[in-house]
Amino acid sequence: MFPVRRLLPLRNSFKLPPLRQSFRIGNRLPETQKRWNGSSSAEPPRPHRNVVGVFSPASAAIFVAVGTALYFYFRHEKKKSIEQREKERSSQAYGRPNIGGPFSLIKCTGSTTSEPVIFTENDLLGKWSLVYFGFTNCPDICPAELDKVTVVMNELKKSFPNIPIQPIFISVDPARDTPSQIHTYLQDFHPDYIGLVGDYQQTKSVCKAYRVYFSTPPDADPKGDYLVDHSIFVYLMDPQGKFVEAFGQSTDQHTAAEKIKELITEWISTA
Amino acid sequence: MWPFSSKTEEPKAPSRDDRQKCWEARDAYFSCLDTVGVVKAGEERSKGACTSENETYQKNCAQSWIEYFNQRRVIAEAQKDRLAQASTQAQNTTRR
Repeated sequence: MFPVRRLLPLRNSFKLPPLRQSFRIGNRLPETQKRWNGSSSAEPPRPHRNVVGVFSPASAAIFVAVGTALYFYFRHEKKKSIEQREKERSSQAYGRPNIGGPFSLIKCTGSTTSEPVIFTENDLLGKWSLVYFGFTNCPDICPAELDKVTVVMNELKKSFPNIPIQPIFISVDPARDTPSQIHTYLQDFHPDYIGLVGDYQQTKSVCKAYRVYFSTPPDADPKGDYLVDHSIFVYLMDPQGKFVEAFGQSTDQHTAAEKIKELITEWISTA
Repeated sequence: MWPFSSKTEEPKAPSRDDRQKCWEARDAYFSCLDTVGVVKAGEERSKGACTSENETYQKNCAQSWIEYFNQRRVIAEAQKDRLAQASTQAQNTTRR
């Protein structure tokens, strides 16, 4: 075995002939043994106890056995820790980006007469959220992304019927997007969609928290015909309201759904 | 203060149908431009082509959308050229 072979040269370099005998385990070296001790004597003289010290055949055997066992144990442990690190690295690349945080917006209901319902970061707690920033006059990208989230929502509901997941749309066009207008707009997409809107400052602060760029000027004309340039990401937030993952335009709906399923399963298993 | 007074007539957000109509009109207009070999919208006017397609396009899409789609068509075309150039260059270098 490997550790035994390692020991032999060491012993040779010390030039301690009596030790050789004590290390003889079994009778694997009778020929060489004979040569060392002369051919006349049949039984080599037993080395004196004091010369041998603690190195008896039994202690040597235990030493080798423990060494071998430790070697394999540490090799196994090292392999395990490397595997663990690899696994963590593949799921969480470089820690968690600091995305999200406190915000206060108005929840868009169909009614224009009742008191406005305030929606804050606390309403993200206890539920998974898919957050998207856009505006209702968006020519093609926003509706495509909202359709994508709708498909993802349907797939997730099929896989996790008992886990609450809410799709959220936050308007980056507060000058034109009124709560009832957003409410009507979202009827074209998943029925669970929650529309949120605020004034310019509230919109700016939620966009800052989510690292979203948007181009609407503070003095935009509510009746104007303009487009808003903005970042296109769907954010997955966990039931503690913390950021988990962002999906860009290039991620298709099924890839996104599969990844989210994976992340939710992982989250549940570690929670 | 928010929300805006809802007494005044509120502008309606485009619905799925509105968008679909606009996209169809745009696609019809752009394919007409393709047939006359025009990339930048408006340049076909001198040839007197695609007038009815343009009319439907103008009617079904907001002005901001029209500007956006027209601009994107020019950018996409330039990109196509550049990609084609890049691929021929790549082919030439591998041949050498």
